[in-house]
Amino acid sequence: MKALVIARREIESYFLSPVAYVVTVVWLVWCGLQFYLLAGVFASAPSLSASANPLSAFFGGSVLFFIPLLVFAPVLTMRLLAEERHTGTLEPLLTAPITPADVVFGKYLAALLFWVCLWLPTGMYVWITSQFGRIDLGAVLASYLGVFGIGLYYMAIGLAMSALAKNQIVAALLTFMLLSGLFAVGLLGFVDTLSEQRDVIDYISLWGHMQAFSKGIVDTRFLVFDVTVAGLFVYLAWRALDDRRQS
Amino acid sequence: MIEVRHLTKRYGDRVAVRDLSFDVARGEVMGFLGPNGAGKSTTLRMLTGFLEPTEGEIKIAGFDARRQALEVKRSIGYMPEAVPLYLDMRVVEYLRYRAALKGVPRREIDKHVDRALELASVGDVKTRIIGQLSKGYRQRVGLADALVADPPLLILDEPTAGLDPNQIRQVRDLVRALAKEKTVMLSTHILPEVEAICARVVIIDRGQLKFTGRPEELRGGSAITLEARADGDKLRAALAGVEGVGTIAVKGADVQQARIEVNGDVHACAERVFRAVANAGIDLRELRRVDASLEDVFARLTTQEVHS
Repeated sequence: MKALVIARREIESYFLSPVAYVVTVVWLVWCGLQFYLLAGVFASAPSLSASANPLSAFFGGSVLFFIPLLVFAPVLTMRLLAEERHTGTLEPLLTAPITPADVVFGKYLAALLFWVCLWLPTGMYVWITSQFGRIDLGAVLASYLGVFGIGLYYMAIGLAMSALAKNQIVAALLTFMLLSGLFAVGLLGFVDTLSEQRDVIDYISLWGHMQAFSKGIVDTRFLVFDVTVAGLFVYLAWRALDDRRQS
Repeated sequence: MIEVRHLTKRYGDRVAVRDLSFDVARGEVMGFLGPNGAGKSTTLRMLTGFLEPTEGEIKIAGFDARRQALEVKRSIGYMPEAVPLYLDMRVVEYLRYRAALKGVPRREIDKHVDRALELASVGDVKTRIIGQLSKGYRQRVGLADALVADPPLLILDEPTAGLDPNQIRQVRDLVRALAKEKTVMLSTHILPEVEAICARVVIIDRGQLKFTGRPEELRGGSAITLEARADGDKLRAALAGVEGVGTIAVKGADVQQARIEVNGDVHACAERVFRAVANAGIDLRELRRVDASLEDVFARLTTQEVHS
């Protein structure tokens, strides 16, 4: 219950800071551009439409599409705990009758909610596409599930780094490095000679992840990966916050 | 209300608090004194559960700090040093948030917030953004936060630091008023503050207990000076043997000035000295009580180990 109180304040403070608006605007411009180009491509080449449509391409066609997220995710999560520690507000927070777990869950929930807010406006593209042709609603829902899964562990990694780092910048850099690392490992899937490691790489690969979900294939292995990584890093954040009392 | 036993906090090799034991009774206003860096804030942070003690026991309102952390925190209204606040929130929003966090039932939040705003006299800035408030107001918003859930114990870390004399008086008046129904522990390094509002004092220095008792006891070595037209020996003879009179220093030729170190109650001793001198037929010109300055006492308590 107390986690909800914390999450609410956190969301409010997102919208009190300009960062939220900058991230949202840049992200939506980027998405809009992407969708506009994809729609153009499909419009000029009807033959493509047999196997794909602008929506599936939007969600899974291009892994480069996710690159801004490698920057935005750290920006969204860097302040969660690092700022509280830096300004000293962690002290009134943790001396209130709540547990460090409440704090961690509250902050995580807020970050996830913001992640969802970031994606909500893309629903517009689904509506636009549906005006010009049939859409596979199952595939769309699966795509959003995939996006949510990615958010689960992106936000968890950011939260953990924010709990560990001394300040926001370090937290953002650490998150960026970790997410880029995972992203780069996924790209190794394109290297043919690594066929034996392919299974593991595919597991981590954002591209493989979104390819499957955008086709409407809900591959639970990916969800297991998302949830496992998320759980690990949320736990790490909790331990970092709890152990701080010893030092 | 507070029971502390053998409390120790180590940061690696550095010992911030060493084997500290003290009590604070229900309804008491306790002043926690020490020079900067003595371990006051570290101790308060252990009491409020922000830091874990390396060793020792803390009991607050009968709850064990280690095993019943939430009950302990619920009993305390804490104002940390430097009063960290969310600068982007409005005063009333912040207090509502804090009240909810502290478990005030939703329907009672407005009532609690209004009461805290009034007690800390910040009602006039309740819709202002905290970041735009002056230091004095922020301090009192912190105080309102400590009060908002109406806890039985207030722990205030340097509540008057950075305030102007008027604001200091307001905070002292408030603490005095609150003391009627609450237990208060406040840290400070300002001595007159302790005399002004505290019934009991605990002094620490370099993490160790130096003194515990009432502020008056601190003064200990008070003295009386007197001036009389009399023979020095006669005056000395008259004073010798009066209860409470310690060493006597007399100087002067025609008119004697004497300084008497007093053991025990200085007021009663002054009365006895007056009678003794009058009975000896000496005309007294002046009789004055000299309080040993608290600063001196403090300096004596907190620097003696440097020499030993």
